[in-house]
Parts: sequence; C-alpha cells; structure tokens
Amino acid sequence: MGKKVYVIKPEDNTGTVISDNVRAGQSIEVRIGDRTELIKIQSDIPYGHKIAVRDIKKGEQILKYGLSIGTATEDIQQGAHVHIHNMESNRGRGDRYKSEKEKEVSQ
Amino acid sequence: MDQFFGYVRPDGSAGIRNYLLILSGTVYANSTAERVANTIEGAIAITHPLGRCQVKPDLRTTFKTLVGMGKNPNVGGVVVIDHFREEGCTAEEIAHEISQTGKPVEVVNIRHAGGAIAATAEATRKAMLIKRQISRLRREPVPISNLLFGLNCGTSDTTSGLGSNPSLGFCSDKIIAQGGRSILAEVTELMGAEDYIRERAVTPEVGERIVAAIQHFERRALESGEDIRGSQPTGDNIVGGLSSIEEKSLGAYQKSGSATIMDLIDYAEAPAKDPGLYVMYTPGHGSESITGIAAAGAQVLVFSTGGGHVINHPIMPTIRITSNVNSYQAMQDTLELDLSDIFNGDLSLEAAGDLIYDEVLETCNGKLTKSEILKEYTGFAIHRTGVSI
Repeated sequence: MGKKVYVIKPEDNTGTVISDNVRAGQSIEVRIGDRTELIKIQSDIPYGHKIAVRDIKKGEQILKYGLSIGTATEDIQQGAHVHIHNMESNRGRGDRYKSEKEKEVSQ
Repeated sequence: MDQFFGYVRPDGSAGIRNYLLILSGTVYANSTAERVANTIEGAIAITHPLGRCQVKPDLRTTFKTLVGMGKNPNVGGVVVIDHFREEGCTAEEIAHEISQTGKPVEVVNIRHAGGAIAATAEATRKAMLIKRQISRLRREPVPISNLLFGLNCGTSDTTSGLGSNPSLGFCSDKIIAQGGRSILAEVTELMGAEDYIRERAVTPEVGERIVAAIQHFERRALESGEDIRGSQPTGDNIVGGLSSIEEKSLGAYQKSGSATIMDLIDYAEAPAKDPGLYVMYTPGHGSESITGIAAAGAQVLVFSTGGGHVINHPIMPTIRITSNVNSYQAMQDTLELDLSDIFNGDLSLEAAGDLIYDEVLETCNGKLTKSEILKEYTGFAIHRTGVSI
C-alpha cells in the first residue's frame, strides 16, 4: 500500500494528499523526515490538496518545499484541510496595492 | 554522447520533423493559408489574429515570432502569405529573415496575386514545389548537443511539483550534461523562487536581471489593480489543490533541474550556443509560453500537467506527462507518460527522469506524439502586452 500523504521537507507544516481515499476521522501514518506520525484527518480531503501535519497558528507561514507558500489566516489544527479558505498568498497582492494607493492619496 | 536522427538544415541546426510551413503574415491571410495547407500533404498552417494595428513593441514581437516559426529547425521550407504590404510585418520581410537559414522560402501576396482564388492557386503550386524539394531529405545522426529543449507546465496540481516536474528537471539536466540547452519560461511562475535563481545564475548580474524580470511581471499585474490571486493560481489549479502563486511557482520551478542558469532571454529570442538553462520572459499562459519557446528554435517540448492538458505546438512536438494517476486514466488519449508510480515508491524521481528522456529521444527520432496524430494543434499564440490600435 502506498503513502496517502506526502511531505517534502522535514520542516514543512503541510503534507499533500496523494490518495482518493482520505476521509474525516481516519488516522493516517505520515512520514515527516525520519519520523512517522499518526495524524487524525479532520475532514474529507480531495486528491492533491494539503493537510496540516502539525498545529499552525494564525499569522504563521505555511511551509511546503521547506519554504513559505503563504500565511495562515486562522488557527489550523493538525489533520485539517489547508487551502484558500484558511491561508493567503503573500505575493502579487493587487488588492493590498490598491488600498495602499488609496491610503497614499488620502494622506 | 547520445544522438538522435534529425534533418540537418543548411545553417547546421537539426530538425526532428520536416514540415512545410504555410505561414499567415496577417489575420486576413488565414483562410488562404489554411486552404493551401489542407491541399498539401504534411503541410502545417500557422494562423493568428495579429500582424496589423498593433503598437510597435507588439508588432515587433509578432514579427519575431513568425520569423522564429520559419527558422525553427523542424521546418524544411516555408510559404508566407499576406494580404497586402504594410511596413513592419510584411510577408517579404518575414521571408527575408527566414531565408537567412538557407531554407526554401516563397511569398504570396493576395492583393498582388489577384484575389483569394488566384492566391490560393499560386501558393499551392509554390508549396508543392518546396514539398518536392524537402521530401528528398533523409534523417542523419546528430549529437544530442544540437537539442534545444523546452520545459513547460500547465493545468498544474500538487502532483506536478512533487512528481512530474522534478522528474522533468532530471531529464533537462541529462540533456544539458551532454552539451544541450533547455528553456524555462513562465516568468510569472517564478515568483517565490528568487533565492534559488540567485544561487543558480552563472553570474550575480544574470540572477538580478531574472529577479528584476519577475518583479516587472508582478508589477504589471499589480498596476492593473487586480489581485493576481484571481488568475494565479488559476481556477483549475485551485481545484487541483494549489493555494497560492508561491506554491504554484515553487512547484513549477522544480522542472528546471539543477543546471546553471546562463541568461535571461526575451520572448521568442534564440539563446546563445553555450550549454545550460535559459530563462525566457513569457507569461504563464500555456500557448503563448510554448510559442515563445518554439520561436527560439526549440525542437521538442515536454509539458508537465497535473489535471491533464491537450496542448501541442504545431511545429514543436509536445510530450505531455503527468504523475497524477487519475488524470492519466481520464486522459490517455493525449498524455504520453504516467509517472504516478513515484508516489507508491516504485519509481524514483531520477528513474522517472530517464523515462522522460527516453520518450524525448524517441520523439526526436520520429515517434509521433498522440496530439500530432490527432492533429491537435492547440498551442500557437503570440504574446502581446499593449492595446490594438
């Protein structure tokens, strides 16, 4: 039987689901670097999506490839789905740029 | 050193196909070009909506791209069709540039030929004669160092960054180790990979120029007042599990392997002869990106996809690979390689790279891609930045 969750770097706080069968309530063995952890899955996770492999605090960087891929917008529990509902990109943020411009104008 | 069997051109380049190209110089010659290509065995028509009423930088890009199509080693001869003569991107100017390669090139002007029917007849006759001439060419052994290899990905999901992209990186490294060159495009998808690029560039100056290009693209997106998250990652990327542009970038970047980055090249610009990896300024838009790569002279491209993609450039055979087993099963008609064994531990990334490399060599030797067989030419589009005027 193959792995169900793939973690690239030991420092990553997310892993990728590479199975069609990751459901809420399951406990799944996840290999993180040299250790294996049993993680309880919080909701059904689609193939290719990420889960938190440890608790992540709001404002903390989301790590994959050992690097930041965004910021957590809320506290995320180990085993929970990590996606656009609870993290946001730090780059290409035209929305922030726009409001910064408006701030500049009002000053 | 490995070799492939290619068509050696007068300028010393080597094609993996021997196409007769019927090139439309402007939108108004598209129908005529298609009629001619439909009549001639093995001819390929390239049509597009550009070549007129474009701002100068865009007109130059259109010109450079059309010239690049004709100069590409996979093309044996060309008929350029235009509807009228207007400075900047005429059939004569395009043909003149292409003829520097020593290949046979002919021009037909619809207005001067006497209308659509007469132009079709004239172009068909010229195309037939070029076809007779280039059909005499035979494949000869060519060292792999002659290969300009294209790297691209699209409809990415998280399996791309974990499996098919890093495997493709190994394949690219193997080609470069033998004196070949690779092109990595899609500058928008390098956002977040800047530190890696600085480390891998041949000089700090090259590294900084590439980082500046990434920032330039990001600024263009910002200044449109848009949140780039609305389009990058794309809707299909998000469904596939990608949550941010940085995540998409770092996954996309894996396909570049570990070779030295030699230079930043402009859209549709041919790289220098030195072996190594070249970064081309293109957007993430798949057809525009691979067209830039083909215009630079790449003979073959590997397209890594997560969700499945049918893209195939008309003159640069496009090998589609995936490491998503579900996509492979759903898309066997158009995907060449399934690398999903990476995830059950049966296939190392390096061994997957060898599988890709073997498929590249076979394609170079004449094995048709599935999309070539199906005539799925969905991959031609010219990048533009300005308005129509």
